[in-house]
Amino acid sequence: MSDKLKQIINKQAEQQDVGLDQSNDIVQLVGFIIGEEEYAVPILTIQEIIKPIPWTRVPQTPPYVLGVFNLRGSVIPLIDLRVKFGLGAKNHNDETRFFVLKQDDEVAGFVIDRLTAAIRLKKTDIGPPPDTIASAESMIDGVGKQEGKILTILKVNKLLERDF
Amino acid sequence: MDEFQEILQDFLVESFELVEKLDEDLVELENTPEDLELLNGIFRVAHTVKGASSFLNFDVLTHLTHHMEDVLNKARHGDLIITPDIMDVVLESIDLMKALLNTIRDTSADAGIDVSACVARLDKISGGDGEVAAVESLATPVEEEPAVEEELDFDSMSDEDVEAEIERLLNQRQDEDKAKRAAKIASGEKVPEVPPAPSEEEQKETSSSATPPPPPPPAPVKPVPVPPSSDAKAAAPAKKAPAIVEQTIRVDVKRLDHLMNLIGELVLAKNRLIKINDDVEERYEGEEFLEELNQVVSIVSLVTTDLQIAVMKTRMLPIGKVFNKFPRMIRDLTRELNKKIELEISGEETELDKSIVEEIGDPLVHIIRNSCDHGVEMPDIRVAAGKNETGTIKLKAYNEGNAIVIQIDDDGKGLDIDMLKNKSLEKGIITEKESDTMSDKEAFALIFKPGFSTAAAVTNVSGRGVGMDVVKTNIEKLNGIIDIDSELGNGTSIKLKIPLTLAIIQALLVGVQEEYYAIPLASVLETVRISQDEIYTVENRSVMRLREEVLSLVHIGDIFEVDRILDANEYAYVVVLGLGAQKIGLIVDSLVGQEEIVIKSLGDYLKGIEGIAGATIRGDGGVTLIVDVVALMQMAKGVKATVATQAQTAQISHEKLKASDYKVMIVDDSKTDRMIMRKALESTGITLVEAHDGQEALNVLKSGEHNFDAMLIDIEMPRMDGYSLATEIKKYNKYKNLPLIAVTSRTGKSDRMRGVESGMVEYITKPYSADYLSSVVQRNVNFKSEFL
Repeated sequence: MSDKLKQIINKQAEQQDVGLDQSNDIVQLVGFIIGEEEYAVPILTIQEIIKPIPWTRVPQTPPYVLGVFNLRGSVIPLIDLRVKFGLGAKNHNDETRFFVLKQDDEVAGFVIDRLTAAIRLKKTDIGPPPDTIASAESMIDGVGKQEGKILTILKVNKLLERDF
Repeated sequence: MDEFQEILQDFLVESFELVEKLDEDLVELENTPEDLELLNGIFRVAHTVKGASSFLNFDVLTHLTHHMEDVLNKARHGDLIITPDIMDVVLESIDLMKALLNTIRDTSADAGIDVSACVARLDKISGGDGEVAAVESLATPVEEEPAVEEELDFDSMSDEDVEAEIERLLNQRQDEDKAKRAAKIASGEKVPEVPPAPSEEEQKETSSSATPPPPPPPAPVKPVPVPPSSDAKAAAPAKKAPAIVEQTIRVDVKRLDHLMNLIGELVLAKNRLIKINDDVEERYEGEEFLEELNQVVSIVSLVTTDLQIAVMKTRMLPIGKVFNKFPRMIRDLTRELNKKIELEISGEETELDKSIVEEIGDPLVHIIRNSCDHGVEMPDIRVAAGKNETGTIKLKAYNEGNAIVIQIDDDGKGLDIDMLKNKSLEKGIITEKESDTMSDKEAFALIFKPGFSTAAAVTNVSGRGVGMDVVKTNIEKLNGIIDIDSELGNGTSIKLKIPLTLAIIQALLVGVQEEYYAIPLASVLETVRISQDEIYTVENRSVMRLREEVLSLVHIGDIFEVDRILDANEYAYVVVLGLGAQKIGLIVDSLVGQEEIVIKSLGDYLKGIEGIAGATIRGDGGVTLIVDVVALMQMAKGVKATVATQAQTAQISHEKLKASDYKVMIVDDSKTDRMIMRKALESTGITLVEAHDGQEALNVLKSGEHNFDAMLIDIEMPRMDGYSLATEIKKYNKYKNLPLIAVTSRTGKSDRMRGVESGMVEYITKPYSADYLSSVVQRNVNFKSEFL
């Protein structure tokens, strides 16, 4: 009996070790599509992902700010990433989602074309953004390589920063 | 350590409240130096602070208060008459005491402030060897000696008492906290003691019951401006049974804020419930359960409103809390400016939300300083002008509807309109033309313009670079309105109208196209309906005549960049907004109604958007933006008239020159049916547009591409049926008169009824002849026969 217990405890300890390893070397992201490209943001910055709901336009804002919507009693800004990335607006369809991102006390909803998947990437698979666009102002945090695909990882704090 | 912190907190709260009251009492004392009860009260404050601070080892504070106590004790025994000069020293020492208390609050220690100079002066007075005291004091040195002795005696005794008292009270308080009961001091515990003790105890009583606020300051503090009465209570322990002391409980403001937020949510839910109830009522008219539902909804709504008021009340503070500091301020100012000014305060019991009370202080200080400095003249000038040598400033507060009004009147020289105008011209704030057309009220309002200062010389009192414009901004931040009136030579009156609370307001909801906006009701003067031809254009601006006035107009759509797809109706609704002397007419498409709304911030990302004060969540769960009337008035100045031109273009497009100018939409999900209709109408030459279902039809309408003269609507359709479509269409002003013709195989009487209810003008049942359909359509679009 005690052997069994030991085994179980050992197993758990091993699993914990693995878990620790993962948290050190692996980044968990959620991928999504805007236009043709796949982008990703760290999973922990996502407060929730919801299907499109009605929103209210706010005047005197740039075109990519669609307006504000009601998320269980909170008024949250809604930003169309297609427009922000210069792709032009598109009607929402069944695959459209609102990404509600949160960092510190800043919360905003972002319209994306389609959700892909939760992604686990090794840190070694993430490279810096290309030199040409690598600046403090850039929204790109890094580029992830994944089975022949390239994934643009976005800076959430830049997304949530007001730039108008 | 924790225990120490707890004691310290209690000590600070108590001391600050005592000190606040002290200021008022001292000024009062200067006027009535013989008022023994007043003196006793003031003495006890110094004494209490001294006792507590020595217990907490704040030596500097103890040192200071000890000497204050000496002086006051002398005065109390009639050995010293309080003269203005002595009062100056006493007031100075109180200022030091405040500074020390502030330091203690921030650093938990009382180091860093030098009190020796002040103490020396106090000593001089109390010692009787100083010039001031020697001259003023009526008492002989012989009489003074015993007084000092007695004082010391009293002191040593009460010090112990204080310590014992504090410890005991603390224990009591902790017990009470555990029991979560109101602070109540059991009179039974009072041990019979030497004479000073009961008064000490009594003082504790009042102060402990006075400490529990921030929110609801109980009886003893309330009647602040009539200090004799409040002091009488404290001074006469025998008359007052401790059991009557109002029961209070000290609550963290954060908890109240949280509670207020929750109430906000509840109000939103209530609004939503009412809306759903209305919908249900419409649909199931006459059903029995409706009555029950109605009852429940009205109870919930009633209770929610009561609850909201109740919670609001817990956050209310009497404005006296702010008014308190003014007698002292006026006193200092009069001495500084060599003027004679009296301050009359009334309505100090008027209550306001805590957050507003905190914000209102600075603007009021500024206004009163201004009145003293620029308003009230020097005594000799006043006498020369035939006025009383002493100027009067009246400060009063009263309730007016859902707002509170704070009025500051002075009987000074008043505002000189010509001087104001010249000055503004000089500084380039207004143009020559503006100055000529300006009304008196507008001229008075010039003092609120940035960069305006009426004092020729900048003085220490009011001219410090910040003008009245800051006052205005601060008041407007509170959703308040500032109004100024003046008569040259007779004085100036400034009125501040401030909402009772910040979180929930009454608003008028207006519609423009498909959007809705909420306008704070406080700034809405009236609403009028006018026809388009009542709008005139003057110098590229729309104006209208409203009774005797000419009101400039602006379309809400121009301000908030609303695309005007749907043309305005023949009639327009004008919401007349007033802010102080300014007035403007805001044209909207529709008036939705009055609603209680909860103000929510737009968050950091969208904050500071011009013209938008915030957002609220409506009964249907949607977000509605709240109009910032102040900013809107500013924005309106930059907007050109588009109202009149719009109406003209709309007129032109209605002219029919040929058959194909007529446009009819066919809405049917069956291709065959659409074919049949098309065939029947083709011969007339009318332009036909097809839609597959209600939703699509609505989108076509909204896109504004076509101007339809009639619609043929099938009833049975996927996504949105004919009835719903008709109901939706009739929601738009522009389509109120668009003929909707039902084409259906439903022949039941109730179907026809529903058709009529939803706004259909004709009802064609399938099958029908092509000629019949054609004739019905022609009749409804007023088809001119010459086109056939």
